[in-house]
Amino acid sequence: MALIEIRRLRKLFDGHPVLNGVDIDVAEGDVKVVMGPSGCGKSTLLRCINRLVEPSSGSIHFRGAEVTGPDVNVRSLRQQIGFLFQQFALYRHLSVLDNTALGLRKLKGMKKKEAAERALHELNRLDMAGHRHKFPAHLSGGQKQRVALARALAMDPAVILLDEPTSALDPVMAREVAQLINRLHGEGVTMLCVTHDLEFASAIAERVAFLDEGIVQVEDRLSVLYEDHAHPSIRNFFMKQERSS
Amino acid sequence: MAFSEMLAQLASGAVFTVLVTVACCATALAVGLLSACARRVFPFPAVIRALDLFAFVFRGIPVLVLLFLVYFGLPGAGIRVSPLGAMMLSLGVISGAYLAEVFRGALDAVDAAEIMAAQSMGMSRWQVFLHIELPQMMRFSVPGMVNEFTNVLKYSPFGYTVGIPEMTKQALVLSSATLRGVEIYLAAGILYFLVYRLLLVGVRVLEKHWRVPGMGPAHLQDQPV
Repeated sequence: MALIEIRRLRKLFDGHPVLNGVDIDVAEGDVKVVMGPSGCGKSTLLRCINRLVEPSSGSIHFRGAEVTGPDVNVRSLRQQIGFLFQQFALYRHLSVLDNTALGLRKLKGMKKKEAAERALHELNRLDMAGHRHKFPAHLSGGQKQRVALARALAMDPAVILLDEPTSALDPVMAREVAQLINRLHGEGVTMLCVTHDLEFASAIAERVAFLDEGIVQVEDRLSVLYEDHAHPSIRNFFMKQERSS
Repeated sequence: MAFSEMLAQLASGAVFTVLVTVACCATALAVGLLSACARRVFPFPAVIRALDLFAFVFRGIPVLVLLFLVYFGLPGAGIRVSPLGAMMLSLGVISGAYLAEVFRGALDAVDAAEIMAAQSMGMSRWQVFLHIELPQMMRFSVPGMVNEFTNVLKYSPFGYTVGIPEMTKQALVLSSATLRGVEIYLAAGILYFLVYRLLLVGVRVLEKHWRVPGMGPAHLQDQPV
């Protein structure tokens, strides 16, 4: 059984379908990548999973339980799902350590010292312990993304959703984030990542799902999609990527 | 009457001036914070409309009219309010309506992505307000709060109309008794200025305590915290 099973997911904004029947599975320990052009509904898909956006119809099963119904404890669901934003979304009034420890203290009920130790462990895991007293304004983009990842990991989530994690980073930092994701994958962390960055996608996964016009058009090995793009929208997308890379 | 005696009497009035100012500022802060909290924790259309109406009405009423309504009007309805209570319910609440607008602007300056990040961790609306929005709102609001608290100090002489023996009242009494109005009102003005300076020092200490690198005026960003 997959950790996340999404079936016929639809989301309409003002009557306009952004997601129009998405089917996707994420297995435990897997790194699933969803690619697609800007505005194709990638971020909306992620936000439906942790109910930051309410789906219009369809089903999402998380650990075998339906999570789109009205009786679902949304806060409890969100605590099991880490989320990484493209603009990092670090709390700018808190230090790196406090950013990482806040959820542990306020949501997991840990004492200050215990939360700080756990946060420091995660920061250490991502080579950010030396920056623990700094504030977000004094970090580079790559460092901010590491702290955001440490903040998500500290909550010990079942899966981490990554929303365009490299879109605000230069290529060198993007490669660093890719290496980090591969390392975490090796440690058994489950991740669902949406991106339109082909180089990044190929660095973290062999298979990708291609989302366009509100549905998953195809899911296959990147090499197959790259060379054998039968569908015109896929051909168009990857040809554009080829030109830009 | 010796000038030192006059100064002592003015200083005794200054104590009441500070008392009225602190009490009204505390009321304003409580009203402003309650309004900001309600706006974020209960963001229902009826609540938002009620808060907007409160700010609209109380910013439009002159302090003296509301003060007289509370102090001289309410006893007619069987409700007796002390002079300090009347100041808090008039000047304090009106300043609270202004502060509510200052806080509303400051809340809008909090990055929506940070709010979404906190929600995505599983925080409730109250937790998001308390741990993410409130600390940033207070920092963004410092200049607006200084303005409002200064206004409270400058409106505090209205206290004498309901019998509070604050500084302007003392100056009036002394001036009538000695006919040395120029010296007395000049001394009162200087004392008001000293209270204002005290207020500013307090705010600066608070501002320094709250300062976060990367937040606030650009010219302060690189200074050690």
